[in-house]
Amino acid sequence: MHEPLPVAEAVSFLQTPEAGGLALFLGTTRRWTDDRETLSLFYEAYEPMALAEMGRLSDEALRRWPVRRLCLWHRLDDVPAGEISVLVGVATPHRAEAFEACRFLIDTLKRQVPIWKRETLSDGQNVWVEEGIPESKSR
Amino acid sequence: MSDAPQVRLRVLLFSTLRERLGSSELEVFVPAPATGSRLLDQLAAQYPAIAAYRPVVRLAVNQEYVPESVELHENDEIALITPVSGG
Repeated sequence: MHEPLPVAEAVSFLQTPEAGGLALFLGTTRRWTDDRETLSLFYEAYEPMALAEMGRLSDEALRRWPVRRLCLWHRLDDVPAGEISVLVGVATPHRAEAFEACRFLIDTLKRQVPIWKRETLSDGQNVWVEEGIPESKSR
Repeated sequence: MSDAPQVRLRVLLFSTLRERLGSSELEVFVPAPATGSRLLDQLAAQYPAIAAYRPVVRLAVNQEYVPESVELHENDEIALITPVSGG
């Protein structure tokens, strides 16, 4: 989605009498990382594959846990500090499986879904976030 | 140029590779049979930016991750996926 994520809509969609536990994870743009100040994040996606991959993750969550409702949304383009970039919501009969499925979805999304972020820092720098890539430090 | 038949491939680029190469798509001719590793080796030899990511880049064909041993065909939608950073 290219607009702010509608959290209230997600919550009302996730609520169902069949589910006694609802886990909601929101990822937001963090302003401070040590002494670096992030003004906004810009997200780019390989959109058709990102959607396909998110569909495959959802299918896997549905196979592994008794998921009654599921939301997996990611915002694209600019996400200013404090705003939400990713929403993962899972409703299951009991809370333990809601936490597990939610954790699986966000952790796997971060490793697999072809979405990239570029940080705009308060000192004017614009950098792609590439944790653990040696090349990015030498630029 | 060898006389071996060539396969014409189109390769999509994103984020850092798109910026460094100044293009969101490359056209490459790879000798048949064109495999993922042949394509990546050839691109790495041609573009230093791709060479830098050669150890960590993943290949996607038709919107799905594939191993480098995959055989590539002219109409495949091929993409280079550098380490992702969504979330």
